[in-house]
Amino acid sequence: MPQIFDRSSNALARMSLILTGLIVISLGLTLDEVQRSPWVTRQGQRADQPVPFSHKHHVEGLGLQCQYCHTTVEKSSYAGIPPTKTCMNCHAQIWTNAQLLEPVRQSWATGASIPWTRVHDLPDYVFFNHEIHVNKGIGCSSCHGRVDEMPIMYMQNSLQMEWCLNCHRNPEKNLRPTSEIYNMAWQGASELRPVWCAAEDVPAGSPTAGGVTCTEENPKMNGGVQMASLSRPPTGLHAQAGGTAIGSEDTNPIQLPAGVHYTEFTSQQALGQFLEKHYDIRNPRELTSCEVCHR
Amino acid sequence: MNRNERSAFGVQRSGEPEHAAVPGSQESLVQIEPKKLTLAEIRAKLANQKGKKFWRSVDELADSSEFAELVNKEFPSQASEWIDPVSRRGFLKVMGASMALAGLAGCTKQPDEPIYPYVTAPPDLTLGKPVYFASAFPFTTGAVPVLIKSAAYRPIKVDGNPEHPYVRGGSDPITQATLLDMYDPDRSQHILYRGETRNWASFLAAFRSMLADKKPAGGQGLYFLSATVTSPTLAAQWQQAQKNYPHAKFVQYDPANRDSHYRASQQAFGQFVDAQYRLDQADVIVSLDADFLGGAQFPGFHKLARDYAQKRKLDGTDQMNRLYVIETVTTTTGFKADHRLAVKPSQIAAFAQALAGAVGGGGSSAGNWSDHDAKYLQGVAADLKANGGKCVVIPGEFAPPEVHLAAFAINQALGNVGKTVVYTDPVNPMPSIQCDDLKALVADMNAGKVEWLVILNANPLYSAPADLDFESAFNKVNTVVHLGSHWDETGQQAHWHINNAHYLEMWSDARAYDGTVSIVQPMIDPMYGGHSAHEILQSMLDNPDVSAYDAVRATWLGNGGLLSKGDAEFNWRKALHDGWIDGTAFAPKTVAPKGGLATSAGTAAASGVEVVFRPDAHVYDGRYANLGWMQEIPRPVTNLSWDNAAQMSFATMEKNGLAENDAVEISVGGKKIIGGALAVPGLPDDVVVVTLGQGRRIGRVAGGVGYNGYLIQQSGAPWMLAGASLRKTGDIYDICVTKSHHIDQRSVAHGGDGSGTHSIEGNESLDRGIIRYTTLTEYKKDPEFAHEGVARWTPEPNESMFPAYRYDKNAWGMSIDLNSCIGCNACVTACFAENNIPVVGREQVKIGRLMQWIRIDTYFEGDLAAPRAHFQPMTCHQCENAPCEQVCPVGATVHSPEGLNLMVYNRCVGTRYCSNNCPYKVRRFNFLLYSDYETESLKLMRNPEVSVRSRGVMEKCSYCSQRIEAVKIEADKDNRDIRDGEIRTACQQACPTDAIIFGNINDKTSRVAKIKTNERTYGVLADINTRPRTTYVAGVLNINEPLAQELGEYSS
Repeated sequence: MPQIFDRSSNALARMSLILTGLIVISLGLTLDEVQRSPWVTRQGQRADQPVPFSHKHHVEGLGLQCQYCHTTVEKSSYAGIPPTKTCMNCHAQIWTNAQLLEPVRQSWATGASIPWTRVHDLPDYVFFNHEIHVNKGIGCSSCHGRVDEMPIMYMQNSLQMEWCLNCHRNPEKNLRPTSEIYNMAWQGASELRPVWCAAEDVPAGSPTAGGVTCTEENPKMNGGVQMASLSRPPTGLHAQAGGTAIGSEDTNPIQLPAGVHYTEFTSQQALGQFLEKHYDIRNPRELTSCEVCHR
Repeated sequence: MNRNERSAFGVQRSGEPEHAAVPGSQESLVQIEPKKLTLAEIRAKLANQKGKKFWRSVDELADSSEFAELVNKEFPSQASEWIDPVSRRGFLKVMGASMALAGLAGCTKQPDEPIYPYVTAPPDLTLGKPVYFASAFPFTTGAVPVLIKSAAYRPIKVDGNPEHPYVRGGSDPITQATLLDMYDPDRSQHILYRGETRNWASFLAAFRSMLADKKPAGGQGLYFLSATVTSPTLAAQWQQAQKNYPHAKFVQYDPANRDSHYRASQQAFGQFVDAQYRLDQADVIVSLDADFLGGAQFPGFHKLARDYAQKRKLDGTDQMNRLYVIETVTTTTGFKADHRLAVKPSQIAAFAQALAGAVGGGGSSAGNWSDHDAKYLQGVAADLKANGGKCVVIPGEFAPPEVHLAAFAINQALGNVGKTVVYTDPVNPMPSIQCDDLKALVADMNAGKVEWLVILNANPLYSAPADLDFESAFNKVNTVVHLGSHWDETGQQAHWHINNAHYLEMWSDARAYDGTVSIVQPMIDPMYGGHSAHEILQSMLDNPDVSAYDAVRATWLGNGGLLSKGDAEFNWRKALHDGWIDGTAFAPKTVAPKGGLATSAGTAAASGVEVVFRPDAHVYDGRYANLGWMQEIPRPVTNLSWDNAAQMSFATMEKNGLAENDAVEISVGGKKIIGGALAVPGLPDDVVVVTLGQGRRIGRVAGGVGYNGYLIQQSGAPWMLAGASLRKTGDIYDICVTKSHHIDQRSVAHGGDGSGTHSIEGNESLDRGIIRYTTLTEYKKDPEFAHEGVARWTPEPNESMFPAYRYDKNAWGMSIDLNSCIGCNACVTACFAENNIPVVGREQVKIGRLMQWIRIDTYFEGDLAAPRAHFQPMTCHQCENAPCEQVCPVGATVHSPEGLNLMVYNRCVGTRYCSNNCPYKVRRFNFLLYSDYETESLKLMRNPEVSVRSRGVMEKCSYCSQRIEAVKIEADKDNRDIRDGEIRTACQQACPTDAIIFGNINDKTSRVAKIKTNERTYGVLADINTRPRTTYVAGVLNINEPLAQELGEYSS
């Protein structure tokens, strides 16, 4: 009886074994990539919205402050989606006939909500809290990206768990002075853009950042240490982006003690560690504990 | 009562488990041979035990093969088997498809989720932050002042008002469950006229035209039948209406009414008074059938329970109160007693009078008592006399009036009045003898005098005593209007049905039992546009369109109203904010009982069996029967879930040839009902206990659960009927009772006996020191008793192969005081509400899949007929050396830096290794899709801070980590440490006796850290080196030593 398989089949058999292995591995790698791809995460995708609201126009163009609409970002887990009333504050006066705004006027007239599509949508078993992030020196743009440059809102980051953990394991990489929370253009401290910070002792129980003052302008240029308090560096969450105060009626002059000492930071790592200490940030071991986000 | 007369009796379980008929599952079923064991054998077993002996069920005591089979499994009977009707072939088909998709399942994209913002946002609303409102839950026995947690203006949790002088933050299961009552999907949603939807205006039109007709005759023919009124405004509205319609009649009737007390009060004082007991002043408490630790069913429960427990904490003192309970049914109060005596219902009045005689309160102490009972009586009397002015006798609400008269006399004779007993005006502004009024109403209905009957929140077609034949009288009324939360038995027969607004949806007012007035304020717009009794009564007045809000304001802000002095608007807002109106508590009344005791000592030796009726501990008189929480949570003492039973003692069962789960026909007065026989330890012989409130005909939850006890109730003697007979029908009634399922499976090498047949809780609970207690005298001699003896040592922290964890800042811990725990289930219900725990249903409970994160374990000890019992709340111990963490293959249960055993649902793949390895059996597996993802109204009720778990994940107590996180965020924002007491777990918050303390054990000044240094603190199973974060404070009994010697108790 002649052999059914020629000797060369051995090579084929070996090849097919290897091939099978490769297919399994590549399938695994593919699924892994798919799982992280924007197709699944919706990262970078623009959802269909009833009104093509432009953050770029309203924030960069008109200079609206984030909290004008997202009112509860500092005091609640939920930043807040503005009610129709907030739109109508202006659009009762301007663009009153624009076709684009028809759903807004409809909502106002009928009392029915505008049905937005959620862009940043975490799974239901994740409990994210805005207030603690904003109060502890994580700015809007750290997670949401340059919203001021987004004509249509999209998700800058994947919001997957590994992305969250990147920061929860190394919070110093993204910490910034609380005065810069709403500064979309904040890039962190570097050689080219140093940051000067001063800390004073405050009693326990004072709000975060109560004793920390930071500025991007060299306080020594204005006459040295003693002058620092006179230059009224912006402080607190209500300070405007870019380092200048909105107006003197909004920010009380901070009476720094005369001897306050500014330290210059030329790397984000150093600034982050300084803020970690003075903002009393939980350590990575606590920040990566499961119950922080999952309950 | 001669205890030696009892002879052999059988202990038997139904032969065939429920699921035997399910195809494809035969091989997995546990077929258990019924084991016969005689009472003599059991007692012999008990006698052979050295020292104390604990047991959880008769099976365990018998050490039967059945019990071995039961406990040999991780969960009892079929809990861990595949019992769904899917064939092997079908299963493989499904699995094949699942395997193919398994790799892709993780890649499923989330569906688009819409956001619906407000059009105009409410000014005070911060989405994501709960708001709290004070209100009050109006209940038959007096209002419970509550604090309601509201998320985006949806009430999501009801708790006692922590600042209220009466309730001090505690609550009870029913108060907790009123939340579910509001979101009950079966609530009536429409106004109906003969089954057709109508609107409020059309009802008003009909009602007013009737009123116009009846006005000239002064309202002749118009009758109201209302639930007990505790609202001063409603009473005022009726009194005004009465002026316009002098011949209209207003009858109040609740099945669980206070007739006994009020009859006695009328006879003794010539007026209606309420009695308030000041247990903080009492060293000796005698309960004459009073279940005052049972729940809100007992008037003044919250304060009584708190004061009782406060004097048992041994907190910086070595003085304790002493509790004697003489009772006819087994209650939690009885099991908390230092000395308990079970007497037959027909004997309780005679006993009370004999006690009165013995302490010099009139009456004769003679009686035909057994030697044991006579000694008990003398012992109690002696203790009472020795503590005159510092003792109190509390009569039971459902005991005959003679018992109340005797209690009045005893308290008077011992000088307790004004000290431990205070008489006040009644909470009910229109007190009445409800049974008599109902009888008169039925007579009028039968005589054709009733033309319009307006029923306000009552359900007489279900709950009226059978002898009144309410239904035939009902059919003689021209028009019946029914205001009710459900389209219930009465609503379906009534001509008009009006959907009632829940107390969380309406304006009203109510008095707590101490008299303090609370304003009931709405938390939410009526979900189904319901209306309240206020609106109906108001429509009879000259200004018919005044809303309930204005009516309540008029009562308190109007002329002479308490809030009208000074800045009325400020006072009003303060009352709403605080939750009560200052200075409205009742002042003590000076009344003295006149005349002696009733001479008719009802000692007629009744032949046959005596039937005792009691409202259910959870579903009450039936009004809460449609609440899944209330049905499912096992009742105290009996562990009944989703059922009521014919409860009787072991000897009675044997005498009538019955076994547990036999269907038994109870016939009395020519009426019959059938229920399942259930043996309950501690019941007197020849007594059957019937709990009311089940056997409803309506509701997706209530319908068809249990049997209806009202069908044999008699209006003349609503709480006890003598001369009943029991008959075994031959059928099996498979009662739903939660059983033992906590097994010690260690091999001999690891310290077990290798048999795998002992539960850690029963046979071994003494050896293993699960329950540790002693008497006060012994405690003074040996304060370290909780740590002496076998298995009572605690290993050093470094005795482990695993490296110890660091706890740098916070380390959460809990302490539970076993002396204070009264087994009331408030914590269990609160946990259901806080943690979105699903209701699993009767079938699943029967196979051991009950989804409680905290349960109350009851350990019986001693004689079957007269046991002692210990309540032990059992929840995740958050072990520092957690056995569960080490076996999870996917890291779904991990240790937090603060010492919590975290459970990450989205990581869990459902291997259940952790629950196998948990020595406390506190991990509950979500076998099927238990959470209701469909019903809209229930979605609104859920706590938004806690995941709603799907099937296939392990669940367990997390020390309310959502509450911990919320407080941590607040503290972090202020750069401060968390204050002691700032975090309160849901169970701790609900506990009426402050038995549960939670806090940071790293902070040595915290309450929990301090109590953990107490010598009575011990960890359950701490000897296996789990290092539990939850510890217990061992119990101390304050026994009457001479009496104990006489009775031969505590001989060990």
